[in-house]
Amino acid sequence: MDTKEIILDVKNLNTTFVSDRKEVRIVKNVSFQVKRGTALAVVGESGCGKSVTMNSIMRFLGKNAKIEADSIQYNALRDGKVTEYHLEQIKNPNGPEMRALRGPDMSMVFQDPMSSLNPVYKVGDQVAEGLIQHTGMKKKEAREKVLEMFRKLGIPDPEERIDCYPHQFSGGMKQRVVIAIAMICNPELIICDEPTTALDVTIQAQIMELLKDLQVKEGKSIVLITHNMGLVAEMADEVCVMYMGRVVEFGSLEDVFDRTSHPYTKALLRSVPVLGLADGQKLETIPGSTPNPANLKPGCEFADRCPECTAACREKDIPTFEISPGHRVRCLKYKNFPEVE
Amino acid sequence: MLKFILKKLLMMIPMLLVISIIVFFGLQATGIDPINFMVSPEVLSANADNVEALRESLGLNDPLIVQYFRWLGNLLHGDFGYAFDGTSIASTLAVRMPYTFELAGYSLILSAVIGIGIGIISAIRQNGIIDYVGRVLAVLGQAVPQFLVGIILIQIFSIKLGWFPAANRVSPGATNQFLDAFQHLFLPVTTLTIGMVAVLMRYARNTMLDVLNSDYIKTARSKGIPEWKVYLKHGFRNAMKPVLVILMFRIPTLIGGSVVVESVFSYPGIGMTMTNAIVANDYNVVMVTTLIIAATMLICSFMVDVLNAIMDPRVRLGE
Amino acid sequence: MSNTTTTSIKAQNKSASSSLLKKNIRKFLNNKLAVFGLIVVVFMTLACIAGAIFQVDYATPNLTSMKAAPDSAHWFGTDTIGRDLYARVLFGGCYSILIGVFCAVLSSVIGAVLGAIAGYFGGKVDAVIVRISEVFQAFPQLVLVMMLVAILNKRGLGNLLFIFVVTGWMTTFRMVRNEFMSLKGETYVKVCEAFGMKRSNIMFNQILPNVMSPIIVSTTTNVAFFILQEASLSFIGLGVADSTPTWGNILNAAKSVSVVTNQWWIWVFPGLAISLFVLAINFLGDGLRDVLDPKQQ
Repeated sequence: MDTKEIILDVKNLNTTFVSDRKEVRIVKNVSFQVKRGTALAVVGESGCGKSVTMNSIMRFLGKNAKIEADSIQYNALRDGKVTEYHLEQIKNPNGPEMRALRGPDMSMVFQDPMSSLNPVYKVGDQVAEGLIQHTGMKKKEAREKVLEMFRKLGIPDPEERIDCYPHQFSGGMKQRVVIAIAMICNPELIICDEPTTALDVTIQAQIMELLKDLQVKEGKSIVLITHNMGLVAEMADEVCVMYMGRVVEFGSLEDVFDRTSHPYTKALLRSVPVLGLADGQKLETIPGSTPNPANLKPGCEFADRCPECTAACREKDIPTFEISPGHRVRCLKYKNFPEVE
Repeated sequence: MLKFILKKLLMMIPMLLVISIIVFFGLQATGIDPINFMVSPEVLSANADNVEALRESLGLNDPLIVQYFRWLGNLLHGDFGYAFDGTSIASTLAVRMPYTFELAGYSLILSAVIGIGIGIISAIRQNGIIDYVGRVLAVLGQAVPQFLVGIILIQIFSIKLGWFPAANRVSPGATNQFLDAFQHLFLPVTTLTIGMVAVLMRYARNTMLDVLNSDYIKTARSKGIPEWKVYLKHGFRNAMKPVLVILMFRIPTLIGGSVVVESVFSYPGIGMTMTNAIVANDYNVVMVTTLIIAATMLICSFMVDVLNAIMDPRVRLGE
Repeated sequence: MSNTTTTSIKAQNKSASSSLLKKNIRKFLNNKLAVFGLIVVVFMTLACIAGAIFQVDYATPNLTSMKAAPDSAHWFGTDTIGRDLYARVLFGGCYSILIGVFCAVLSSVIGAVLGAIAGYFGGKVDAVIVRISEVFQAFPQLVLVMMLVAILNKRGLGNLLFIFVVTGWMTTFRMVRNEFMSLKGETYVKVCEAFGMKRSNIMFNQILPNVMSPIIVSTTTNVAFFILQEASLSFIGLGVADSTPTWGNILNAAKSVSVVTNQWWIWVFPGLAISLFVLAINFLGDGLRDVLDPKQQ
């Protein structure tokens, strides 16, 4: 696959946090690709490192985080020409190289719209800020653009709302504003970090529809971090399942949902409530709890909770096997398949 | 906004009334008889009738409640009464109040600028040199009693070096009034400022660190704006509010501190007036000075409320 | 089956809490300044108590050796009327530390109880207590103390303790009240209420432990605050009488310029004692805060 097709290519990303003089590796050898114009869903329980992975790529982590990767390659497509950016080589997380990309190329929608907006500025000004920064537009022009964006995102009475403060907005409307901030410079890649977790269900559906529209109609590439399997089924083209900082299964939506291979993914899918659950049928849970990332045993992190665990699982790090083109699983059950990086 | 200001202003009135009641009846409860300070004991025992007439004419035999309202009425007319030595309290205060306001005002401005400035820089460059030095100084500034700082400053700058006078606010016959004021104010203002800076610096640093951890700072960074804009436009602006509030809470300490500092530097302000009055049991003066200080406090907190409202749209547009 | 799981959960909780305690102790010991603070506080307190137990002579003036510089007989020298300063600093330490600890603890208790009541019940009760605290806060604390000194019109240790406690509860009160206001909306409180628990039980057994950490930290730093406040008050001449030595009223001698210039030991030693102790308490408080209350530093 060439750089025109792949927008983001991450190889062997490791993120380590230094706390209390101890080093804890939260993200381990994570590799994945995002295809241009598609949606990738990153799923897993809370604390599995999915947010940290994305924040590592955008370089939003604090100074106590150490980010190492063989390659984090972002391929920008402008006027039919591809420009490659090697993000792992950028030293200063908030330096000019990184800043130039944030907004016009890649942007992020955060989890909690309540706290993602600065309470002391008008929403319109907050949306316009990035635009003015990157295009040097005059305030008046920028305002027109913001109004246009508000209309596109379905914010009612944009002329009036543009001069309101965040506290005058409902949660769903705030998230639309956050999306407007992410969208205003027309980026190609949008990373959505659990964009609907903090919202109620009906609003969730609206926001998701909005994002799907952006992807399908405007050809945006979207990375959706979530733990909601329902959303994944609706939104994603490809799915990346993470557990304890590792990618345990990666493949197309059909691969992961219909030809589920990793025991963890199977357990995850079984624990999703579905309408029409038979009377008396109990919703399954995954036994045990996630281990403490600070003191892990060798071998597969899921071994203690896995129904199909063998002695070999606890020996050493598990490699990844490609069981069909593009469908990769990190589990010894598939050791007869070719091993991949 | 106007409604908000009016409401806050109106709320000050009952507050002041309650305080005046506490001050008045509290000090009446001490049972100090002003007559004892006006008339010597021998005269007192010799002319019991005359003294009784004096009491009657001063209104000391009226019920307390009547005395209270008379006192309050006089205050409202600008008649602050007389100290036991017969001087008019109003005229004493007219000279001394501005002195205290000078002392506290300069210290407030100076410590706000220095404290908030260093605090913000320490937060941005966390664990840098400024942060480290600032933290050590803050800890020391909070540990050494204020009057001791004053004494040390006097020892170094007035006695050893002779650069600044150790006492008073004006030198008799000074020609350059500005220079004279500067010389007399320098040490007391420095003393007061050191303690304030220590607290403000710490607080500004921690508040700024908190703010820099908030989600909207990440949002700001996600727009690709330069770091200084992230810090000043998004960080500082939000950190200002809690810092202003703490500044308001520090004003009492500042005025309390000026009482001590005035005592160290024999600085003739309202604090020294009050201290001397308490030592001399001159409760007329104690009542008026406490009331004035309390009123000043209320006005300060009112101003911070208004400032707060201007800065925070949630308060400004609320209701 | 259920029995074994409950015990195992209990055992788990126990081991979790003991490992948390261990972790906290380790964290505290890693903070060198906090350990330094603890050692200094303990050492100075013990020294002062020892001085009091052995009844060092702090009160007898020795007119032949007034204003004597430090030597082997008088380690810290003597004061303006020839009393041994070393003994006075030790004894003064006892009183100063007593004042600091007593007032800090008692004012925290009062502040916590009132804060719990105001925050939990809200409404009229809250409004009344908040108004009272606002009236108190309309005065600078030192001025309030001075006014009470004027009202009580007698300078004694008991009066001073009373005044400090009466004027010192507001900060703890505000803090506890705010915490209670936010905590009472928590689900676990609602659950307790739904079970029909007694309100006093909910307030003091269920909610209060969650607020304990900041209370402990603020009590610690308040010890330093009250010691400094006593010193200031004594310095301006409104503290306890000279017959009861405190670090503050020993320093009162430094009001005279000639003492400041010529007899440095009279103000340097008590000044050092008070600064060192307050410094140590502040380090200790900061260390406790880091361990107990990592949120607010």
